[in-house]
Amino acid sequence: MTDARTAEADPPWEGLHGHELYAACMHEARAGNRLAMNRLVTELTPLVWQVARGNGLDRHTAEDVVQTVWLALFRHLDRLADPRALAAWLITTARRESQRAGGRKPPPVPLTDELAETVPSTQPAPEAEVLRAERDRRLWAAFAQLPQRCQELLRLTVLAGRVEYRLVADVLRMPHGSIGPTRGRCLQRMRGLLDAQGGSA
Amino acid sequence: MNEGSTFPDDQTLLVELDRLVHELDPPPEGLVERVRFALELENLDVEVARWERADELAGVRSVAQGTITFTVSDLTVMINLTKVGRGHRIDGWLVPEGEYGVEVRVAGHDSVSTVADDGGRFVLHDVPRGTTQIVVYIDGNSCRRTVVTPAVVL
Repeated sequence: MTDARTAEADPPWEGLHGHELYAACMHEARAGNRLAMNRLVTELTPLVWQVARGNGLDRHTAEDVVQTVWLALFRHLDRLADPRALAAWLITTARRESQRAGGRKPPPVPLTDELAETVPSTQPAPEAEVLRAERDRRLWAAFAQLPQRCQELLRLTVLAGRVEYRLVADVLRMPHGSIGPTRGRCLQRMRGLLDAQGGSA
Repeated sequence: MNEGSTFPDDQTLLVELDRLVHELDPPPEGLVERVRFALELENLDVEVARWERADELAGVRSVAQGTITFTVSDLTVMINLTKVGRGHRIDGWLVPEGEYGVEVRVAGHDSVSTVADDGGRFVLHDVPRGTTQIVVYIDGNSCRRTVVTPAVVL
């Protein structure tokens, strides 16, 4: 694939963001435009992924859920009239699929064990990097010990720009006003876990 | 220095979490490409089967040889891979059995098709390795369904 501006005009979603981007892509996708589908997949796969992981799935099962959600979206695209509902639909479907996929499984592997898998082994790092990696490890370990609901809420709210506050409240079926306080309690709990780890940063 | 002062407020923690979630738990490499490949199906009116991993603790996704099981509602697709030269021989078994069409799509290659026998068994030779999706066309008396597996690297 090249990034040259060829004879073909820029796609209609060029330069658009957020709901406008989704609306333009969904419109084109309904007409069978695969590039529009690909654009949505690139844009929103991280969101679907975080929902699956936030529901306690291991990385492999989460990947299956991501694929299932996207196939389901394009199967039902006609039913989703409002592009503003796209992110909510993806989150809701990903949660339902995750809960279904996770229902028959043993408890998830602790996130801390998977850290080794995701952190690439590199040459000996400078001391500052070692310290930073150690601090990251402790933060991540504390995050992994939070209740599932806290992890999910935090994952959704840090996806800034892609997800709106209201939308998170809606899909988690929480009153809009309670997201902030609940998240605050989750963070407080995380600080408690960090304190309990002891040691110095 | 203690952690209490290192992470004093919610905003600091959220910024750190934002970074960590993206650094430590990003979508797997190639996932977007596998999704795109799965969406290249001609007809998207499909049911997606789940990969049932026999040994959850192994956590190993790549399967050089061995048996993989996919299930969706009432259908199970089992395949056994045997490395032959630069490709695979795929021995498959559909349960419940039926003479259904089976297509194996591999990214960058023409797809390979066959029909399962009345015992639900099928064999495909010289299937290239790579991002793979198996499609089962169930043409029953009362219904016509298409079942696909996730796109996986075989």
